[in-house]
Amino acid sequence: MSTTTFIRTADLKGLVADFNAAGIGVAGPARTSDGAVDYQSITSFDAVVLDAQPRNSLKQFFLPPTEPLFKYARQGQDVAILEVPMSFPPRVLIGARPCDAAAVEVLDRVMNWDYKDEPWFARRDATTIVTFACPGGDRSCFCTAVGLAPDATRGSDLLLAPAGDGYVVEIVTPKGQKLVDAYAKRFATGAGVDATKAYRDTARASVEGHVPARPDVIRAWVETHFEDPFWAEISMRCHGCGGCAASCPTCHCFDIVDEPETLTEGVRRRNWDTCQTSLFTMHASGHNPRHDQCGRCRQRVNHKFAIYPARFNDILCTGCGRCARTCPAGQDVTEILTRIVAMATGQGGAA
Amino acid sequence: MNVYQPFRVRIEERIDETADTRTLRLKFLDPDIAEKFDFKAGQFGEYSVFGAGECTFCIASSPTRKGYIECSFKTVGKVTSAMKDLEVGDVMGFRGPYGNAFPMEQMHGGNVVFIAGGIGLAPVRCVIWNVLDERNKFKDVTIVYGARSVADLVYKRELEDWGKRPDVKLWTTVDPGGETPDWKGQVGFVPAIVEKASPKADNSWAVICGPPVMIKYTLPVLKKLGFTEDRILTTLENRMKCGIGKCGRCNIGPVYVCKDGPVFTAAEMAKLPNEF
Amino acid sequence: MTELRELARRLLSEGTVNAVLGWEEGPRGARPAFVTTPDGADRLIFDPRCVHDLASYLSPRRPHLKKLGKVAVVLKPCDARAVAGLIRETQIPRENVVLVGVRCGGVLADPESTAPLSETTVADRCRGCPDREAKLADHVVGTAGAGFPGPSRRAQKIEELAAMPVDRRWDFWQAELSKCVRCHACRQVCPLCFCERCMADKSLPRWIESSPHARGNIAWHITRAMHLAGRCVDCGECERVCPEGIPLGLITRKIAQVVSDRYDFRPSDDPAVPAPVGTYRMDDPQEFIL
Repeated sequence: MSTTTFIRTADLKGLVADFNAAGIGVAGPARTSDGAVDYQSITSFDAVVLDAQPRNSLKQFFLPPTEPLFKYARQGQDVAILEVPMSFPPRVLIGARPCDAAAVEVLDRVMNWDYKDEPWFARRDATTIVTFACPGGDRSCFCTAVGLAPDATRGSDLLLAPAGDGYVVEIVTPKGQKLVDAYAKRFATGAGVDATKAYRDTARASVEGHVPARPDVIRAWVETHFEDPFWAEISMRCHGCGGCAASCPTCHCFDIVDEPETLTEGVRRRNWDTCQTSLFTMHASGHNPRHDQCGRCRQRVNHKFAIYPARFNDILCTGCGRCARTCPAGQDVTEILTRIVAMATGQGGAA
Repeated sequence: MNVYQPFRVRIEERIDETADTRTLRLKFLDPDIAEKFDFKAGQFGEYSVFGAGECTFCIASSPTRKGYIECSFKTVGKVTSAMKDLEVGDVMGFRGPYGNAFPMEQMHGGNVVFIAGGIGLAPVRCVIWNVLDERNKFKDVTIVYGARSVADLVYKRELEDWGKRPDVKLWTTVDPGGETPDWKGQVGFVPAIVEKASPKADNSWAVICGPPVMIKYTLPVLKKLGFTEDRILTTLENRMKCGIGKCGRCNIGPVYVCKDGPVFTAAEMAKLPNEF
Repeated sequence: MTELRELARRLLSEGTVNAVLGWEEGPRGARPAFVTTPDGADRLIFDPRCVHDLASYLSPRRPHLKKLGKVAVVLKPCDARAVAGLIRETQIPRENVVLVGVRCGGVLADPESTAPLSETTVADRCRGCPDREAKLADHVVGTAGAGFPGPSRRAQKIEELAAMPVDRRWDFWQAELSKCVRCHACRQVCPLCFCERCMADKSLPRWIESSPHARGNIAWHITRAMHLAGRCVDCGECERVCPEGIPLGLITRKIAQVVSDRYDFRPSDDPAVPAPVGTYRMDDPQEFIL
């Protein structure tokens, strides 16, 4: 068991005020103008909404929808490359969900695969993730089927769970410890982890059983059923809109584009992209190796549940269920995974 | 300097290979990088025109020839069109080298058969140069190269040089109807010419690159000649952005072309799903 | 519902069509269904949760559905307007599709909703909708409620925006469009975004920057609005799918108002009415041409 401490709700509010005063950026789940909850910049803990899963994930804080990689300036035949700063102001993400915090660490694998992605890790270094144990989810949640839990500490620096007039604070990483030390007066002795057991148990019960916890079975089936009619069947309803990828905490595919600002100057940017579109794999010649939606639907499942596990021994999914909630056509990852397990274990085939 | 920031390279020379294919010889602006830069035969890079974007090609020159790199490209999209507009002296970007390479050391002491079609000669040419520059490390060298027509043959001066060498067996061919009155090479499709050339399979390696249909019909010929799948090497291309395993674009089933490739054996290719 | 299922079963068993596109019960409420066997017809449902515009699946931009061959599609009156749009602009031949109209008195905003249909729960776009059944349909089934009176809240919001000083309206749209991540989901689900290659995907030249910054986002949404002038049927799919919650319907509705006021065109389910973009009349307003 990691070290724990305690923080009263009033001190949590004070802590956010301390961050503001120290010039540390704070972001957390808060209401948007259209009534949804998004992770966004906040200035007061009062704005934080903890009882709804945010519509977006945390990935934007590490891999923004668009970011400059460098700038260039042409002078005659020459070109000057102007580096963009790879250091970022400190930020605390408060009220993160365990599935979203875990996703960030899952992505550290690919972002550090032989080549270090500096923009990603510079933001990682500057950010402290203060996660709140999840109160429980809906029918699309399945974190426990991918090795996580509503109170998983993975990817978090601190994990808070409610108890009495405040929160039991689990110190998960040295970075979390540093934060507690720096604001020691805000933390106190209080209830221990045991006091949060009922809360954690309720949350766990709410997400269990939505997908069989058989990631190895899923992986083995996907690896051996590339041409299965199942993919064509599920792809029929898919519009290729990529809403699943945009809302996904682990979908990280990106595009690199040049955008001129003037005749001689411009920016090379990295932008979010999605494997659900035709353009993603289309060659300049017009040849498209992944030529229809069937292959694209398969790719998303394959990447998450087979390719990533084979490569990094990690599942590229944290069971947050956003893709199912966001899909305009009712494509549902819990159903897909459940059916794969059923097919793999001989209890059903393509409908 | 982050991993997505390219080296600056200057165009030293432009060679028009065909009506729509050009070779650029590029030199690194920074003398330090020019000195240190090294790569292996078969590796690729991300070439860029500032303002247009990046594009993926193999390095078409040989690592045995230091101080510059070359790329050959066909004008098809946004970046290659912008590359076509560049002049000698213009500065481009280059990131790399990325990916795996041909197993040159393993190939030492063996015969090598090169088979290429159209602009597929570019990645093969890198290996041909490498082999010819270390000629004593290899036994028989056979090159079979074909294009649609005489006008579509790339690296014409080098074909001439290779043809003159007594230690290279060169077979050039054009598709029926693509010949000119003074054409002295073969007329016919690459698989048939490979069969005609009939290189021996014993202690041999085949390096093949070209249009999918050429590869499809050449593989059975090579197998008939006795080549085993682990001795047939090819290089794949797929749309890429990062080149370093992050952007998620170049998967063929479980394989990342940018990290596991671009060089694959026919045995590895046979295991890949039909997604390229 | 029995009527719908029986009809679908007959169309499939007689071989009139290879598939019936309708709605089924999914894990999270109603969702599109592709029924390819007569027995599968029992999966079909229709109720106020069936908000999806299935006409999107008829778009020629869905090559993976071409192999289904001839299909029947279940349509609400608003969806029929989209099918008429596709026929009007020669995207699909009328004879290639069997249209099954369902009578409709409005749908909910959300296919997951469990609330009964009421003045407060009805989708905003259904307020003031005059159509109870699709005239274009080959078959019409079901019964319809009375519908809901207008004006929609959105129409009120459009008036409110129109009354704003230009700089405040600009601020409003800047704030809304700054949320856009350029996933282009709005385009992908749109039944009338039928271009084989979207202008936003073209790179020679790059007309619209693909980056989700203010410049690229505004260029994209203004272009899309213009391209949907005289096409948008107000199915609401773009707004429903937007992962950032941008009120895209305000844009498309405003444009539709302009087209209605100036060119006397309102999308109907009559494909014989010529498309305003493809028609020139001597009395067309043209004072904007300098």
